[in-house]
Amino acid sequence: MSDALAGAHAFLAVMRRDLTIYLSYRTRLVSQALTSVFSLTLFFYVSRLVHVSGFRTPGSYFGFVVVGIAMVGVLYSCFSISELLRQELIAGTFDRLLLSPFGAVRSVLAMTLFPLLYSFALAALTLGIGCVVFGLRLHWSTVPLSVPVLALALLAFLPFGVLFAALTVVIKQGSVGTAWAIALLSIVGGLYFPVSLLPGWVQTGATLQPFTPATGELRHLLVGTPLGEGELGAVLKLAAFAAVLVPASILILSRAIRFAQRRGTIIEY
Amino acid sequence: MSAQSPQALLATPSAAPGAPAPRPAVSTVAAPLAIKGLSKRWHADQAPVLDGLDLTLEPGTITWVGGRNGAGKTTLLRIAAGLIEPDAGTAEVWGLNASRHRVRYQTLVSFLPAGDRGLYARLTVRRQLEFWARISMVPRPQVRQIVERAIDAFDLRELAERRVDRMSMGQRQRLRLAMTFLPSPEVVLLDEPLTSLDAEGAALLLHAVDEVLTREGAVLWCSPTGEHLDVAFDARWHLQQGRLVRA
Repeated sequence: MSDALAGAHAFLAVMRRDLTIYLSYRTRLVSQALTSVFSLTLFFYVSRLVHVSGFRTPGSYFGFVVVGIAMVGVLYSCFSISELLRQELIAGTFDRLLLSPFGAVRSVLAMTLFPLLYSFALAALTLGIGCVVFGLRLHWSTVPLSVPVLALALLAFLPFGVLFAALTVVIKQGSVGTAWAIALLSIVGGLYFPVSLLPGWVQTGATLQPFTPATGELRHLLVGTPLGEGELGAVLKLAAFAAVLVPASILILSRAIRFAQRRGTIIEY
Repeated sequence: MSAQSPQALLATPSAAPGAPAPRPAVSTVAAPLAIKGLSKRWHADQAPVLDGLDLTLEPGTITWVGGRNGAGKTTLLRIAAGLIEPDAGTAEVWGLNASRHRVRYQTLVSFLPAGDRGLYARLTVRRQLEFWARISMVPRPQVRQIVERAIDAFDLRELAERRVDRMSMGQRQRLRLAMTFLPSPEVVLLDEPLTSLDAEGAALLLHAVDEVLTREGAVLWCSPTGEHLDVAFDARWHLQQGRLVRA
């Protein structure tokens, strides 16, 4: 058996481990579904209360914000890696990953698999609840295209989680930073309202990260929201972010682990 | 000893699944574990915890290193395992270095840390062992056989489907030992391995150690005191002021 195949099996083993642990907490999925229902209920009535310029009907704003809520779930999943890593450090299981032939870097990357698939499922669940309970109208003809776009978006988002994981390896803290990052990206990423409402300099900042084009593209494909920069432009932007950030974040994680090994703090938590 | 070239062995981490990891051809000039001039200082204003320490483990031998709490036993094991790096000196397994030949090194070495950490509380014994076998890059067709062997070796059959957070400390220690010996390592590093073990568990541990020695591997066993152990150590050392002195 080749090394690559054994490595692939190890990746799947990490994902299976995370799925098993997730399923061992039986109320988690129900809790997550209820959270989605509450968020959607809130914004469903807000959309009927407030008439926002740029949205022809309350339903169009609701569609806009449902995709935003789904993306917040995706953001949380991507940024959850640092917290998962911290739990591994506390439990002493990270030592074992580090000392395995599979190694720490590949283990951390493998730890992203389950949160990514989970975020896919969560986004689908949020949209499903939006459709079934609140009458959200999806553009079914372009919905299938959203799957590869979301996959590309996840590749562009994931490095941010890996970078926070690297930070956790070095300073043993990451969750505070991730909470700030998610809040900031929710605003500049236009998850709840259009970026055009923000001050000019913030709008400029919004172009420097992949969340805005990803959310815009997915809104366009899922609920028909007009796209500012064109479909190809948004996809190319996501691909560029992924191409640059994925290898950069892996390199930084690798350096962070080596740095902590040299200092001897890799075993601290 | 293998007839393969060192380069070929370095490129093939686990050529013989389920069997002991293939030994690099450089073994004619190297020992299972050779530690030379190892130094580690935790704080600039404190004495080094390891100060130019030398230690060589010969094939088929078990070595005990004792010393008071904080003497540096765990630091020594962590460096030998490749978990942390020394300030100076080297730790080599069959001539391989943990930094330069990471995958190969980790295939040959297995480390049991002190305490009861390193387990996933929500996984069953079997799932835990399967996971460990997979990230040890054990080929898929061999996983089941190796896991069953580890379950039997540490008498975990009745506990196989039990979650770790529902097990006693001694049972967890047996599982940790099963994980340590599961990939048939060449060099086994044990940090206070008798913690929480009953007489039966200790006997299982000694049997596993015997198997490593029989296949010409080596074991480094660290604990504060060694007088209560019914183990025929080939060498006994005390770690004092960063160096080893004969016990």
